[in-house]
Amino acid sequence: MTERQSISFNHSRQAREAENILNHITDRFDDNPRGMDYFYDLFRRVYCRGEALPHEGVRIGTTCIHAPEELIHAVGATPVRLCNGAYHYDQIGGDFMPAKSCSLVKATLGMLSSKDPVPRVGRLELIVNPTTCDQKKKASAMIEGMGYRVYDLELPPAKESEEARLYWQRSVRQFAVRLSEVTGRRLTRKGLKAAMARTARAQAAFRTLHQLRKSQPAVFLGKDAFLVTNAFFFDDIERWTAAVEALNAELQQRLQQNFQAAQRKAPRILFTGSPPIFPNLKLPLLIEEAGGVVVADETCSANRMLYDLTAVDEWRLDDMVDALADRYLKPCTCPIFTRNDDRRRRLLELADSFAVDGVVYQAFAGCQVYEMEQRSIAEALSEKGIPMLYVETDYSPDDMGQLSTRIEAFLESIKTRKRKRA
Amino acid sequence: MTSLRQWVNGIDLRRFRFWLQLGFFVLFIYGGYAAVNLGNSLPTFACGFVGESRGGVCYLLPLQHQLSVPWQRLFSWAILGVLEAFALFALWFFVLNKAWCGYACPLGTLQDWITALRVRLGVRFSRYREAAFRRLTVIKYVLLALTILMPLAVGGGLLPHSLGTPFCDICPGRMILPLFAGDASQLTVNFAEKSTMIMTALGMLITGGFFAGAFVKKRFFCFFCPMSALHYLLSRPALLQLRKDGSKCTRCGDCYRVCDMDIKAIADEVNTTRIMQDDCILCLKCVSACPEDGALKATFAGVTLFEATEQGFIKRMNKGAAGD
Repeated sequence: MTERQSISFNHSRQAREAENILNHITDRFDDNPRGMDYFYDLFRRVYCRGEALPHEGVRIGTTCIHAPEELIHAVGATPVRLCNGAYHYDQIGGDFMPAKSCSLVKATLGMLSSKDPVPRVGRLELIVNPTTCDQKKKASAMIEGMGYRVYDLELPPAKESEEARLYWQRSVRQFAVRLSEVTGRRLTRKGLKAAMARTARAQAAFRTLHQLRKSQPAVFLGKDAFLVTNAFFFDDIERWTAAVEALNAELQQRLQQNFQAAQRKAPRILFTGSPPIFPNLKLPLLIEEAGGVVVADETCSANRMLYDLTAVDEWRLDDMVDALADRYLKPCTCPIFTRNDDRRRRLLELADSFAVDGVVYQAFAGCQVYEMEQRSIAEALSEKGIPMLYVETDYSPDDMGQLSTRIEAFLESIKTRKRKRA
Repeated sequence: MTSLRQWVNGIDLRRFRFWLQLGFFVLFIYGGYAAVNLGNSLPTFACGFVGESRGGVCYLLPLQHQLSVPWQRLFSWAILGVLEAFALFALWFFVLNKAWCGYACPLGTLQDWITALRVRLGVRFSRYREAAFRRLTVIKYVLLALTILMPLAVGGGLLPHSLGTPFCDICPGRMILPLFAGDASQLTVNFAEKSTMIMTALGMLITGGFFAGAFVKKRFFCFFCPMSALHYLLSRPALLQLRKDGSKCTRCGDCYRVCDMDIKAIADEVNTTRIMQDDCILCLKCVSACPEDGALKATFAGVTLFEATEQGFIKRMNKGAAGD
């Protein structure tokens, strides 16, 4: 890249959007953990300066957490999650989808259709598109039309039944075969074991971070947590894990020193619904700027992506692949599945174990599945006396003012409730 | 205390089980050499045909003997003997519950060794489909009923005397376990009478099926075991129990994945705390494969012995991934 181009990138709308949010995240809050510098710097390099990230082997793009990344690592390739959060790309992607569709899908399409998109993932050998919601399903052919090789990873519409489980296990096995073909490397027991161990270490680091957020008062802010998990989309897995482990060590220290990342009485918020993906962190940021603190989440850009661990009984190749298939299907709380009992139960459990005061439910306008589950989730929470704020929004910054008023009112009502109870 | 608890919850259950199972195996097959005699009412397949080296006798053998006496005797004083043996059996059982299957049963241990051999050879295992599982699970109750009714019929003169121990005739334990004490005499078809010929030939077939089945299906025989059926009928008041806290369960299915007995309810059922199912062998692999703190636990008389922890899970899986 020449000097002139990099300067012009710095001034692109894309870079300004990212810069603006990053400045928000770093400058409007005091005492950011030093361990976060790695992530702030990473995002500045990738999103504001448009740097390409070095990586091993070929790049395989994924459009959803359902694509088992261990398999991709095991054949020597590097996965990169393509789900995009930029308003800039959302607008470009509007050409592909109907007006009332999900910002995330539009932004991903917009990014893929752009020349030299950010993050600069380089050449994608294959894009794995799990057949989840309708919009993602239909995006497959459009992505193919842009000149990419696309693999439809077939996901069942339900997850409880035996048929669904077997169907998905077969899907994943076929996917493993396809990966070998694409990369020219055989999937071996040793390779998969090593890949699974690496992912397991990353997950363990995530879980530690997750558990640290149980502390009262909060020792870590949600805006930083989302940045950490967002980095997992494109960062090298080992560097990412090491950075999270260092961050965890620092937070543990802060915990011992009774450090407070937010006010002691700051309302503790559980975030659920459509995933916040950088630079679209507006909702978590608004919550924390208004004096709340996001202590936990149930979204596919964070908790759902990294929380559930794989158990293997017999460390043979076929059992490991099946174990991965199970781990990517059974615990998943994505609303695309027929039933949402597990999502309701997970939210109630998180609300309980993280001493949550209220839930913020984000639904991207046009993301029908989240919109449709809103009612049942609200009912389940209200039965337990947990207030919920339902926010329908998209990537556009236009509704910031109106949203901040609603969030402030929501947090205020929580504080009043707490005072009355006390 | 917390560090002890952490240590226990972080144990390598696989290894712990291996040694405990080996210990029980030696005790039941060779205990007699060390003058060990645990009596005739053991709730596990400590086979009575093992000869003098045995450390105890499986309850099903004396049970069938006792029930096959003439009715006149059975329904008078002999019933006391039956009740006494049963009471002793129940007492043994209450201590370990179905862990008698998962930890003590020599025939179960043998199946686990066959499984270990299969894993070493890199051969994949098979699972039952759910519909097949639901049908098969009934068989052991039918066998239990026959194990009780046939000796009774013998006592009443309805069946020939040679059918007095029908289950032992077809039990693979009778043929296999004496082999470990150097006795191959049970591995024959008994041509004495037509009935014994049929039964022992059936036994030979089942023994063949035992080896073949155990090689492809984990704990193949346990689905059909009448002892397991008898256990389950008595399991509620037992001291050792498996408990589940559904609110902590994410239904990730890790426990179901590792279950040798294909019990799906262990993962899906979230409303009951008494999670031990019919076919459970209380091997506690599910507890060791559960990553959610306290979602599954083994308790003894209400005291938690071993429970699922995130740290324990991570430790065990790392070890598995690092192994050869």
